[in-house]
Amino acid sequence: MTRHVMVADLRRCIGCQTCTAACKQANATPPGVQWRRVLDLEVGEYPNVRRVFVPTGCQHCADPPCEKVCPTTATRRRPDGIVEIRYDLCIGCSACMLACPYDARYKTERREYGFGEKPTEDEAMRADDSLLGVATKCNFCADTVDAGVARGLTPGEDPEATPACVNSCISGALVFGDIDDPKSGVSKLLDENKHFRMHEDLGTDPGFYYVWDQDLP
Amino acid sequence: MKARATPQVSNVPSYCYNCVAGPDLLTVKVVDGVATQILPNFAAADIHPGNGRICVRALGLIQKTYNPNRLRTPMKRTNPHKGRAEDPGFVPISWDEALDTIASRLIAVRALGLTDEAGLPRVAASFGHGGTPQSYMGTFPAFLSAWGPVDFSFGSGQGVKCVHSEHLYGEFWHRGFTVSADTVSSRYIVSFGANVEVSAGVCAVRRHADARVRGIKRVQIEPHLSVTAAASAEWVPIKPKTDAAFMFAMLHVLLHEHPRERLDVAFLRDRTASPYLVGPNGYYLREPQSRKPLIWDGGRSAAVPFDMAGAAAALEGNFTVEDCVEIGPDRTTWRHQRATGATAFTRLVEHMRPHSPEWAAPICDVPAATVRRVANEYLDNACVGETIEIGGSVLPLRPVAVVLGKTVNNGWGGYECCWARTMLAVLVGALEVPGGTLGSTTRLNKPLGNRLASVKPGEDGFMAANFNPTDRAHWAARPTGRNAHRTLVPLVGDSAWAQALGPTHLAWMFLKEVPNHWQRPSAPDVWFVFRSNPAISFWDSGRMVETMANMPFVVAFAYTFDETNHMADILLPEATDLEGMQLIRIGGTKFVEQYWEHQGVALRQPAVAPRGDARDFTWISTELARRCGILEPYNTAINRGAGCVPLKGSNYDFSLDPSRVHAVEEIWDAECKAATAQFSNGAESKDLAWFKQHGFYTVPYKRSDWYLYPAMVEKNLRFELPYQERLFKAGRELAHRLHEHDIHWWDAQLEEYAPLPLWDDVPARWERALRKMGGDPAAYPLWLITTKSMQYSAGNNVGIPLMNEVAGNMRGHGGVILNVVTAKHLGIRQGDPVEVRSMTGSTRGNAVLIEGIRPDTVVIIGQFDHWKTPYAKDLHYPSLNTVAPLSLDLTDSTGSGSDLVRVSVRASTQP
Amino acid sequence: MTATVRGAPRLQRSWDSRAACNFICGGAGTGLLLAAAAALPSGWPYAPAGVLAFALIGFGLWMVWLEIGRPLRALNVFFHPQTSWMTREALLALPLLIIVGAAILLDQRIVPLPFKTHGTVIDLAWAGAVLGLAFLYCQARILTASKGVPAWREPSLQSVIVITGITEGLGLLLLLGLAVATPPSWVFAAGLVALAARAGAWEYYRRRVAAGAPATATAALNRISSPVHLLGHVLAAVLLIVALITPTPVLPAAGAGLALVAVGAWLKFTVVTRAAFTQGFAIPFLPVRGRAGS
Repeated sequence: MTRHVMVADLRRCIGCQTCTAACKQANATPPGVQWRRVLDLEVGEYPNVRRVFVPTGCQHCADPPCEKVCPTTATRRRPDGIVEIRYDLCIGCSACMLACPYDARYKTERREYGFGEKPTEDEAMRADDSLLGVATKCNFCADTVDAGVARGLTPGEDPEATPACVNSCISGALVFGDIDDPKSGVSKLLDENKHFRMHEDLGTDPGFYYVWDQDLP
Repeated sequence: MKARATPQVSNVPSYCYNCVAGPDLLTVKVVDGVATQILPNFAAADIHPGNGRICVRALGLIQKTYNPNRLRTPMKRTNPHKGRAEDPGFVPISWDEALDTIASRLIAVRALGLTDEAGLPRVAASFGHGGTPQSYMGTFPAFLSAWGPVDFSFGSGQGVKCVHSEHLYGEFWHRGFTVSADTVSSRYIVSFGANVEVSAGVCAVRRHADARVRGIKRVQIEPHLSVTAAASAEWVPIKPKTDAAFMFAMLHVLLHEHPRERLDVAFLRDRTASPYLVGPNGYYLREPQSRKPLIWDGGRSAAVPFDMAGAAAALEGNFTVEDCVEIGPDRTTWRHQRATGATAFTRLVEHMRPHSPEWAAPICDVPAATVRRVANEYLDNACVGETIEIGGSVLPLRPVAVVLGKTVNNGWGGYECCWARTMLAVLVGALEVPGGTLGSTTRLNKPLGNRLASVKPGEDGFMAANFNPTDRAHWAARPTGRNAHRTLVPLVGDSAWAQALGPTHLAWMFLKEVPNHWQRPSAPDVWFVFRSNPAISFWDSGRMVETMANMPFVVAFAYTFDETNHMADILLPEATDLEGMQLIRIGGTKFVEQYWEHQGVALRQPAVAPRGDARDFTWISTELARRCGILEPYNTAINRGAGCVPLKGSNYDFSLDPSRVHAVEEIWDAECKAATAQFSNGAESKDLAWFKQHGFYTVPYKRSDWYLYPAMVEKNLRFELPYQERLFKAGRELAHRLHEHDIHWWDAQLEEYAPLPLWDDVPARWERALRKMGGDPAAYPLWLITTKSMQYSAGNNVGIPLMNEVAGNMRGHGGVILNVVTAKHLGIRQGDPVEVRSMTGSTRGNAVLIEGIRPDTVVIIGQFDHWKTPYAKDLHYPSLNTVAPLSLDLTDSTGSGSDLVRVSVRASTQP
Repeated sequence: MTATVRGAPRLQRSWDSRAACNFICGGAGTGLLLAAAAALPSGWPYAPAGVLAFALIGFGLWMVWLEIGRPLRALNVFFHPQTSWMTREALLALPLLIIVGAAILLDQRIVPLPFKTHGTVIDLAWAGAVLGLAFLYCQARILTASKGVPAWREPSLQSVIVITGITEGLGLLLLLGLAVATPPSWVFAAGLVALAARAGAWEYYRRRVAAGAPATATAALNRISSPVHLLGHVLAAVLLIVALITPTPVLPAAGAGLALVAVGAWLKFTVVTRAAFTQGFAIPFLPVRGRAGS
């Protein structure tokens, strides 16, 4: 079996938002839509304060609440763990957006552009009306992953089979791969380090892990 | 994406060098002739210290290219009146008209003389952010070289926005134009506000991330919890501008609270001036005949010249020396038959005695225990005595470093901080060795960019220094540039970069008003501006704009309208990042944390056709040269290396015929071939077609060449520390020269020339300056500082919506950052519009309330407050620059100022 | 390092007052179907209540149709009955409206039939009421399936929604008393029972939310809680008691009905649009940014 997961090493992340921008560019998402983004969070009171950067987006849950509530079956979990949305089925009811505990989904009703009313040349070329009025979110760049796998490449290792955010990550914080493969980069990283998943108590079995410290024997 | 019929897709290699932390090697995905994505050049992963990744700013280049606000044709001004309120009346013109207009102006200037009656160049040029525009201006440097004297002293933020004191002192002491930790080998870094995670680019981010996972400890000491503090093991909030006191206390702990053998005694003795004997007048005791500084030889129990073979130099003590001299300013000589000399180290020990952590605690508002702990941890991690093998050489391993950020290492206090930081390295032998504090490159010492080759023996066993002369015979009484860098700043020297590193705000200030006994400089007849917006990026923006309006003829290479080119006479739209062609050097060691194990060149090439009638910068330069009648010297300058590399070397020759016009591709083809021949020692030469496909060419660069220490050992030279006799002397001489000319307005700056920096209540300078302006410090109770945003490279991408969007994920972007408790006292709630007011102006933004900032500090990120730049002007973001005064009182002896302003904050009724 | 770092929850904007309308109207309409069926044996005509319920349910669904991003694909809503309460709600809506429509037609004898129809109307009315209750239950489950909104996923919201629907239905019947006929007195008693149940369910729900949802959500609920109790429960109870003991109960009953309906709508509007803060973000451990201690 294969389960593609994302690992964010919080020790490394510095909130540069390169992944955010790379995702936007790879997926031509409109202004305000960030399938991948990095949160900037603070805890404590002056002077004992800590600040932490947390990459987030669709967690590709094994038990995705978004899939359950979807009345159209547009959202479904693929056998390789990627939770996808079939935009041609979605009716844009937003139930999935409210079911997602990770605030990972977006809906845009009309074309929007960076500079206002008119699209730039690249925006005009890439505008995709099939994404209007429907729920959208990170799909782990499934097209890239699929094309790469079809060519015998390894997602998470070969850039041509790896999500744009991971390819772009400058600190090496984002790592992608098959958690069911004990030799994969994500498996090794998780084996060697302490990690958690967000809102684990909600029972969604997310496919997005956060590394926070080394696992000393 | 839409399904398309067999789209034509290509990936075009190029680079982004929009900030000093570049270049990043990238590829542009082009679909049917339209650039759609910026991606890393994955082929560079093995040769690039940041794993071949690219910074977030590079991703803005698509929108930069297709920005509908771009200027697409040359334009000329039709309204002769200039000013913020004036409509320039720009109208489109042809390239011929634009270039002929400029050329005729230049020809007329040339007929008048290249310099004016006062000897100042009639042509001036300003380029933005740390020399990065050079990577986008093609062969324009060859045009400027062919032209002759050009005044580069109209800064766009240099001196006040750069790490200015570090540039000058860093180069002087260890050829470090910028200074960094050797992060890859370090164990403990004390960082005073060095926001490396934001401002030091992809290489730094990767190096530090790896180091954190490896287990480095970085202590970030700064008034607010920056991104770098967030990514550090510890954040220590410190009162703004008191960093020197913290470092002095660390020096005190090392010198007074630990046995001497815990320091690197051998390094101090052999590689520094610590054993040099200092006489009663404060100058080195010297041997009368050779004039060499004396050390105390414990073996002979006698003073001997510092370079006496076999001498057992005493590191500390006071010694009586028979028959010696002291040489002071203007060669004043004191002959001593019998003098007591203390070693420079002993002077240091005594100098630091009062500066205990308990002394520093109330100054810095940091507990003494914290200061002492940081000092002790620093020492504990210094590993004095350990070595490491790098590239077959055994070098000392001293995995501790101290790094300084902007506002710490420039302006008043910058000298103390740079000196104390370097001394912290020196005491444990951690200067220029693996794991320690390193310089990156040279810009003030020749050869530029090759720090190891710049290590040349000079006076007194030190590296050659490159000071501007201060003796009566050679002092430049008449400035050669409008910021008087040679006249006022001995330390900056006179390299190609020196002028731009002089007191660049003085050039602006003196155009408006001059102090006593100073000749008012003329405005330059022609001013070229490229990738620079001083109307926004300097201080006291309103006054800057007024001054700029008096420039008689301004040629701006213009991407969009902006606040500076609002005053232009001619606007020239150049083919920008993804549209133009250029070859640049990459690798080796360069600014901030660019420490590569490869070096070579990279090509920028047109990924897409230029928008509108934008033209390649090299074409523009060639045409200007031709029309001005300086084609031959222009081509000769290219042949000499002004484009990228010399076109002729010992084993290659790709020189251009100087007499004729060469096409853009022809020039860069020659550069490509010459560069590869140079780097391969003539073994191969790759042409432009090869580069278009591959993007870059590199050869290995030895990691051991990151460190200056081996070169110092090889040449048996000493670092010119701790005692600053040379600076002290230069300062006294400069004082004599200025006073001889009845100039006293630089006296406060002259006081900074102390042989061992004195603690000066640095924040009080701002309070005094405020009082002098008629203000009451109590009415402006908060310290406004600024910090960079990773998403913005200074100001040059403020018009790009993608950057604004993703920067919005980071707290404080576009707002006024305040401590929650302070805000509560002021009656300000999260998101409230507030006004930040100083004595000279006000700026507005929405309050961002956080815990991670000192209660007496306010932070505004980046540089905004635009009123002309499209898109940016509609953001209505605040800017420190609007409220920071341009002030001689707040200018230090190197000519730099700090981004620091006393302000009040109140809820604003206006959004 | 353990320390829970939280990112502020935000008020959801995906479902606005149009979606709230569906919960308000659908709930009241289905509640009314139950009340109308129960009132038939007392001689109450079915049609007025049936028409009102039909209209309310239909209006609510129309509002939802207006809110979805791709209305022309609305039929895709039927594709996922296995787990989607929205699909189930939609599947129930069709037979529900048909049955209620048929009951109205028969009750009004608009289509002449050669047999007595009163029994059929009763059967259909009860079928409509049962389907309506199922529909109402689906609506409750739609909210509690929304894991991303803590104030919604709280299970006790189900009883609030169902009980509120029933209460509103009774309230509407009391209001209809103004136009149709004096409602049977058991309706007053049932109203009292229902409002007591709603008050209890609401209080329980509010406390559960306070224990587990963002403070902003709790604050939104708390803001309306006193007026909800005062108007929707205390005042309504007083009026119903008056109706029980007075010989002319129509007006106080209608007043009580209005209070029951209005407060139910207000309460659901608040839950859907004002207390619907998202989960936000939280990490239970802080990253170790290099080793603390040298």
